Amino acid sequence: MSYLPCGVYHERYSQDHAWWQTNFVRLKMIVLGLVVYVVMPLWADAYYLSVANMVGYTVLGALGVQLLIGFCGQVTLGHAAFLAVGAYTSTLLILQVPWPAFLLDAGLAYPISILAAALVAGVWSLLFGLPSARVKGFYLILTTMAAQFITVDFVITQYVSQIGGRGQAFSLPPGTIKIGPWVIDNERNVYLLMIILVTLTTVGLANLLRSRVGRAWIAIRDNDIAAETMGINIVKYKLLAFFTAGFIGGIAGAFWISNLAAISPEHFPWSWSLWLVGVILIGGVGSLYGTFFGSLFMVVIMELLTFAVMSLGGAYPELLMRLNFVKESAFGLAICGFLLFEPNGLAYRWWQIKNYFNLWPFSY
Amino acid sequence: MKMFRFGLLFVAAFIAALVSGFASAAPPGAAEIVIGSLNDMTGATSDVGKDYALGIAEAIAYVNDQGGINGKRIKLYQFDYGYRIPEALTKYNLFKKFGAKAILGWGTGDTESLSPTITKDKIPYVSASYSAHLTDPKKSPFNLFFATDYSTNARAAITAWFDKKWPNHKDFGTRKPRFVCSYMFASPYCSAPIKAIKDQATLLGFEIGPDHDVSLFALDTKSQVLAMKQFNPDLVWHGNTTMSVSATLRDAYALGLSANHIINNWGFDENLPRLAGEAAEGAMGVTVCAFYGENVPMMKNIVEYAKKINPGVPQDKRLTRTVQGWGAVLVLADALKRADKAGGDLSGPAILEKGFETMKDLELGIGAAPVTFTATDHRPAGKVNIYEWKGGKFTLVEDVDVKGRWPEKWATEWLGW
Repeated sequence: MSYLPCGVYHERYSQDHAWWQTNFVRLKMIVLGLVVYVVMPLWADAYYLSVANMVGYTVLGALGVQLLIGFCGQVTLGHAAFLAVGAYTSTLLILQVPWPAFLLDAGLAYPISILAAALVAGVWSLLFGLPSARVKGFYLILTTMAAQFITVDFVITQYVSQIGGRGQAFSLPPGTIKIGPWVIDNERNVYLLMIILVTLTTVGLANLLRSRVGRAWIAIRDNDIAAETMGINIVKYKLLAFFTAGFIGGIAGAFWISNLAAISPEHFPWSWSLWLVGVILIGGVGSLYGTFFGSLFMVVIMELLTFAVMSLGGAYPELLMRLNFVKESAFGLAICGFLLFEPNGLAYRWWQIKNYFNLWPFSY
Repeated sequence: MKMFRFGLLFVAAFIAALVSGFASAAPPGAAEIVIGSLNDMTGATSDVGKDYALGIAEAIAYVNDQGGINGKRIKLYQFDYGYRIPEALTKYNLFKKFGAKAILGWGTGDTESLSPTITKDKIPYVSASYSAHLTDPKKSPFNLFFATDYSTNARAAITAWFDKKWPNHKDFGTRKPRFVCSYMFASPYCSAPIKAIKDQATLLGFEIGPDHDVSLFALDTKSQVLAMKQFNPDLVWHGNTTMSVSATLRDAYALGLSANHIINNWGFDENLPRLAGEAAEGAMGVTVCAFYGENVPMMKNIVEYAKKINPGVPQDKRLTRTVQGWGAVLVLADALKRADKAGGDLSGPAILEKGFETMKDLELGIGAAPVTFTATDHRPAGKVNIYEWKGGKFTLVEDVDVKGRWPEKWATEWLGW
């Protein structure tokens, strides 16, 4: 919760509850909307768009992790599994289901598959959330890790990816990923799809978090015993958190196939689950902003590092090849650094900066 | 305050480096041809990827010293992507931004994943993945490589054992030979030739046992070897890379598995006997080009450039992977020269049609089978050398001519898998 700028007062509850409370914020959001919806697609080339797509994919993946860890206090280290379930559900629905011609012509196969992917991943996540009714902390970390290994290494690798006899790698024929007449076949269209999905999931989750359900999640996070004594059915709400996180993960997975038009189990390694937790640690646990800041930091800063190193590439050609060592170390170092010096993540810094200006000139 | 100044200095240096980095990414001069290279120095396949990456850089230096592509120098952008597919995708787009005329790729996972994008973008992509899935020009016209594909390799390896080793077995003539596969199920590289090798096993009359899942990172494979023993195979196919293959060989030796071993190309190199010791004795494997230091026409240059470009890497640590890196660069450079000569058009389709697809029995001088590409078939060759580690050195077991022995199946059935 930020402070209101000096001299701004609310007179009605509706003003207190508004998403955008001042003209400055409204203007800021309109500018942001214009940048992401108009300027980026028109100006950016394929490379910048693909970096933006990676940011979006990371955001979609990390939102579920943020919900579980940041808002419900359920530590998860197996979220890539639900992305995988979403991606495979969507792919298999497109490739294997004998869709009626009119649905294919209307370009409904992919949008329906996104919804189905979200639901299947949600239910799958709920299954692995069941142990959360009994265990917490380290033990829950282990059960969520089991989700990763059971889902990706066992079920998907051994059985699901054998469906249709294609071998490990599934690739989608050109033109199959389309929504209505809109064929998603280049970086720009993938970007637009990404930005729409990110907006929808963020708005949905943000609203959910300030509803009765969201308050229950936060109560469970802060103290589950106290929450239970207040009459919150903690098993129900924990499972609902797992379902919602899986649901968003399924959307992320279904989005990912539009980016490459191909998947294999290798796209969803355990390190990706770990990466997503790193994203929210750096961005800020318990903050939706944090998910965005963390994703931007992890993807964009790392890409910028490539460019920074490239200037030295002429003199030290092997430097580019050594970059990944530096990147891996930078990732570890960034997490250590943030936990030590900025434990609330980038979102906290953002909050401080906002308050500094809001309270200007009385910011002491 | 001091900390703040230091931070400011760091940020200023970072921004300066960034600006010059963006400047260096400006479009190349007319006399330069940009090539991108994706390599794995830190990921799951880095045990073989490091040496391959060194080979790529050295071979590009050699091509440039020899006059480049008809006078135009090659500008190489080489990145380690750590075998991570999302990273491969952004780096691929970065290469496009640099105006890369062609890309040297690495693993099967990312190459097969990028394949639809490559086909759409029409950029020739010469990979270190020799997956047969990439050889059908109808499906993936711009995916190419210089070596025999994994499926042909696998067919050749099992055939060589059947020809040369099985007749000496005490049970020969009394029963069918028993065969199992050991590989990482989740890895598209490892699983790519499994269907083909089982097809060949059926063709030759083997009894096929259950597959065994061995991770690329595996250091202990005792449970898999014990499971293999229940079926008591005569022959095991190892589809992983050197590190995990040597772990499996060691465990098979220690647990007394009385089977012979045949190994795919990326699991069979100079490091295998170093890692597996006595357990490697008698292991047979696929080679797609010469071992490092072997007597082939280009070896003098390969060794010279290895010493010149990477003097810090000891010569006795260099592997056949270096030679494979050279193979990828030499075949691409030859295609670029052909396309350039045929009219100077270096677009993707021109490099493919006027470059690669005009190659007929091209000798690369690295001990690889002569390379041929046609508009309907991108399998570079049909003959595979099968070697054996015996008495402290690699010896040739058989040069299996898969194409020559089964010409009809080769032509009509086996393309693309």
